[in-house]
Amino acid sequence: MKTVAKVGGKVCGFALLAFVGTFGMYMFNLENKLIYYVLRPLLNKHYDSQSRDRRIV
Amino acid sequence: MFDKVIASIDKKLERFDPIWRAEHGVGGQRDRYYDKTGVAKYREWRGCRDTFYDYTCWLKNLASMAQMVASAPVACLKGFWEYRWMGSYLGTFMFIDRLYEGYRGTELRIAHMHMHAIVQSLTKRIAMILSNDERFGGGPLTDRMVAMDETIASIMMQGYKDLIPIPLQTLPEFIICDVDQHIEPYYIDVAESFGLPADVCSRCAAETGVALDDAYPIVGKVLISTNMPCNASEATSMFQRRRYGKPDFAATLAMQHNEPEALPFSKQVLKDCMAFVEKEYNVTFDWNSFFKAAELFNEQNTIELEKWDFFKTPYSPLTGISETLYKLYEWQSVNGSDPYFNEVDRKVIEIMRQAYKDKYQPFGGRTRHRAFLWGPSAVYYTDFPTWVQNCWGINIVLNMDSTMGYNMINTEDPEQAMDDLTRIAEKTTMRHMAVGGWDNVNSVWDWAKSFNCDMVLMNDNIACKGMLGVHALMEEQARDLGFHFIFIEHDLEDSRTVSRQNMRDCVNSYMSVVLGEEPLDPTIVEFDDSEAY
Repeated sequence: MKTVAKVGGKVCGFALLAFVGTFGMYMFNLENKLIYYVLRPLLNKHYDSQSRDRRIV
Repeated sequence: MFDKVIASIDKKLERFDPIWRAEHGVGGQRDRYYDKTGVAKYREWRGCRDTFYDYTCWLKNLASMAQMVASAPVACLKGFWEYRWMGSYLGTFMFIDRLYEGYRGTELRIAHMHMHAIVQSLTKRIAMILSNDERFGGGPLTDRMVAMDETIASIMMQGYKDLIPIPLQTLPEFIICDVDQHIEPYYIDVAESFGLPADVCSRCAAETGVALDDAYPIVGKVLISTNMPCNASEATSMFQRRRYGKPDFAATLAMQHNEPEALPFSKQVLKDCMAFVEKEYNVTFDWNSFFKAAELFNEQNTIELEKWDFFKTPYSPLTGISETLYKLYEWQSVNGSDPYFNEVDRKVIEIMRQAYKDKYQPFGGRTRHRAFLWGPSAVYYTDFPTWVQNCWGINIVLNMDSTMGYNMINTEDPEQAMDDLTRIAEKTTMRHMAVGGWDNVNSVWDWAKSFNCDMVLMNDNIACKGMLGVHALMEEQARDLGFHFIFIEHDLEDSRTVSRQNMRDCVNSYMSVVLGEEPLDPTIVEFDDSEAY
């Protein structure tokens, strides 16, 4: 019984932490800020440095 | 008890709700954004229930994307590294947020059901295509894929059990131009750097640019191209087939397809196309397999037609962008091939029936006008239907993209089924709406009338030579028929020529000067989102 309560408590604790973490990320729009200000500028730098095989045929 | 607690929290936090803020003159939707970027400081507070629902949908979409990467990690990484357009898909969350701004209750639920159907389908498709892309060494499905122009009704391919139709332009051009307004100008510039005139339709220029930039994934043994209703489109088909470098078949359907004589011609073209596929892939058409997909397709259309009955009333929670984007994707990329969409359709129509019984009015009853929209891609990256509702209370009841081929396919007689399939293929994007005959363009008034609209918003692609010719005629007809009529100028996928704000100004001017109305949310009348995706 104790073990079940312990495991249950841990699962609930983990679920609560996961909720707080993901809801915080959602509410403060963190993933979009990361994408807009960090990831996309880095990717664009890479795309701009590519040499593409540009031809009509 | 629980309801009381929720209501009390909602009351306490209502000052963060942009709709409440606009109604009380202390702000609105635009308060949340960093200037120009389209990046919100925080997400929209919609009350406890709707915010929590939006959050769970965000999680579901996040899970679909994680699943995509987990199912093909190397291919996805290579895709991000190789293709500029793949980077633009990172803007998807921002895209979804801005599409559903101001959505609450039932309309929010339906909108997310629709969006998740698209996200789960698209993510699987991206993983599958990248895993079998010949640029990355190909994969087990490479030779079973058939690259085809996205405007050909891909349901035709459901008769070949072992083949997988891949609408070629959908991933690198068509969907992504809706998500990121900055991606297509790059490809347009590539095309123009080879001397392509700058005054052609920017969709055609962008598709050409993707081909010349060597940015289409290479899959399948052949390419099936098609003709579309303008010279630019003809040209881009030619550029794409040359650059793609596979044996190709041009499925050139009749343009003036309303003429009865056109059907046998187009039907023969489709038969020839099927013969080409059978020869190249050494397969035979299985009518039973086709009829099975046709049944799913027919069910989708049956439900769609029932939806239209609800659209005619003020009690439809399916509206605006959530209606048109879903229908467009379902028509072009699903076409009876994914039962998930049928499940969504069944759930949505149930919700709509209930909403009608309850006399549920979307957007809290703030709608002032009912509009029929005649608009292509430019209405998606600008989240136009959402904006016109939030700013001026104009409810987009139906968009032209939802009026594509909706006839049923016979599921017993192959000859009759071919006739039906041909009609669907003829009624595809643009061939059905723009230059496939005057009756098609002119039908906008019948659509608007039958859906009880008092307003028609007509997108005016400044590079579409065909439609430029009817500009004055449409103005005159609107006047004669008594519709509020707004031409919204745009350059389709090139937001540098006509910006989002320029497009919004067309509506702003009409609403304030001609109709003398006040905006519902003054913060979104004029704002700079030029650096937003």
